[in-house]
Amino acid sequence: MSWTNHLPALVVAVPLFGAFGAPLVSKAGRIPRNVWFILIAVLTALFSLLLWQHVNATGTAVYVMGGSAWNLPLPSGMQLPVRILLEVDSFGALMALIGSICTLAGALFSLQFMEKFTGLDKYVALYLLLTAGMQGMVLTGDLFNLFVFIEIASVASFGLVAFWRDRPEAVEAGFKYMLISTVGVMFILFAIAFLYGRYNVVNMGAIGANLQYGLPEKVALIFLVVALAMKCGSVPMHMWTPDAYAEAPAAVTCLLVAVSQASLYALFRVCFSIYGMSLGSSAVAWAIIVLGCLSMFIGVTMAVIQKEIKRLMAYHSVSQVGYMLLGLGVGLLALGNPQEMSDYGMTAIKGGLFHLLNYTMYKPLLFLCAGALFYAAKSRNLNDLGGLAKKMPYTTVLFVLAAAAIAGLPPFNGYVSKLLIYESSFAVHPILPVVAMVTSMLTLASFVKVFQTAFLGPEKEVFSSVREVPQSMLLGMGLLALVILGLTFFPSWSLDHFITPAAEALVDKASYVGAVLGGGF
Amino acid sequence: MFSTVVSGYGFWNLFSWLTFFICIAALVLWFRSQGRKDYKEDSPQDEIFYGGNPVPRDGADITVPASSAYWGFKKALRGFYVLLDSWHSGVATDYVAWLVFTVAIFALLLAF
Repeated sequence: MSWTNHLPALVVAVPLFGAFGAPLVSKAGRIPRNVWFILIAVLTALFSLLLWQHVNATGTAVYVMGGSAWNLPLPSGMQLPVRILLEVDSFGALMALIGSICTLAGALFSLQFMEKFTGLDKYVALYLLLTAGMQGMVLTGDLFNLFVFIEIASVASFGLVAFWRDRPEAVEAGFKYMLISTVGVMFILFAIAFLYGRYNVVNMGAIGANLQYGLPEKVALIFLVVALAMKCGSVPMHMWTPDAYAEAPAAVTCLLVAVSQASLYALFRVCFSIYGMSLGSSAVAWAIIVLGCLSMFIGVTMAVIQKEIKRLMAYHSVSQVGYMLLGLGVGLLALGNPQEMSDYGMTAIKGGLFHLLNYTMYKPLLFLCAGALFYAAKSRNLNDLGGLAKKMPYTTVLFVLAAAAIAGLPPFNGYVSKLLIYESSFAVHPILPVVAMVTSMLTLASFVKVFQTAFLGPEKEVFSSVREVPQSMLLGMGLLALVILGLTFFPSWSLDHFITPAAEALVDKASYVGAVLGGGF
Repeated sequence: MFSTVVSGYGFWNLFSWLTFFICIAALVLWFRSQGRKDYKEDSPQDEIFYGGNPVPRDGADITVPASSAYWGFKKALRGFYVLLDSWHSGVATDYVAWLVFTVAIFALLLAF
């Protein structure tokens, strides 16, 4: 048996072990704590990369916890998968890889950014716990464990959002996030209870194989879709995002972006792998399309008028999630019709997934740039900032790179995924790409505003002593910039190797079910 | 090869865009080269025009703040922003109310 068979467990276990070890290692001092932090982040990224390679080479990986054998989803004499199991297809493996890159970038950035604060043993522990929760969300094969991992990620993120507890705004943001997140996660638990009551099983593949679309399934679908849409920051349930993203330390916001995408992953998984073609009518698909359009437009129009840089970026997160929901909705609309799936559905899903990948690279970079500005100039208010380009040349270049990518300026990667979404959504209704393009133009307008007010203009005397941020912070930002450049220069390769296998795995419900049940329920 | 994406309706090619930008850059540089050659650096020619008044030393005194950006846009959409502001009340229970409201809308959609 190869050790690579244990990769799904290792991707979750390593950060979990790192989280519990952090307070102990921190007793030995600052340097051992930092070494531990980076070591765990690097190992998680390495195992995620190996897992992605392994899954793409050998197909969907199933890993059974607590069984007599790691590869025995159906215990002897049983027809139901009753154990805790991880099921990793190309989509899940890609999400784990994306999340681990954000974890590493945020960890590198944190080393200097958080150095002057106390309580860093708790910071590192919560950060790694958040990583473990996020990785669990994208690797798990059953709904109840999805709920558990969402809770782990949520509890860690409440603490991290309110980490600067001497700031009343941070405590308030943490409380608001806790309140709405707890209600949302209770909805998810209700949904699981409905499905468990019907099918006596919580395994996603098993439920998907046996699902008959009746009233309990509809109720469960409503709770799952709405709660997961809230967790990824969709309008009109997005109000927690500007509070939480703005008040959390920048490296935490970097990771929160990846965690919100894990919720979006769960939403994709529920719609395609559990319900799939059982959905029948197009009501859910259209509801998701409408949520996407509202998120795009309301998110970006709120962003344009902000004067606090992280709140502005947080509203942009809402707007960017809208693009992915639009791609998901259009793909879901075409799911039941092979001709429509071939004409535009698959393009929409690929566009949505590619945008997810792009967004999870450039948005954390933008938040890290905002953190660098705060670190150097001690302000996040755009009215106060100005003339910092000469003082912080590397941060300026990295900001321009990320801003151009998110605004979809050619030749950057942001436009490639937007192009796929524009063209596929046009096939459904011409108004959809119009909303998306207006959103894109307003995105450009608001990042021009940030660039002009924070970086350009005459130098201000109050910033005469400002210097470029330390190397470890630049390294964290540089890692994300490197990935953005890779996606920009090799979009076709990225689509073929990252996105197409993930999109095909997502729509292939039979394969997802078959990996656990071995060909039938 | 690695840089061309075919979308089904059109295509995206990185090098086409780079060629376009190089052409535009060459055009801009040529245009700039047609300007006056007698410009002197570090002379009064470098001074910005400030309505005939002495230019303030601190850049903070001559900066347009971010809150003034796009004022026309905000003024034109004032009614829209009043509505959005009222939705973004900052009250925690309102956040939960929007969640419950969305559940109700979805329930109505799926009921019919």
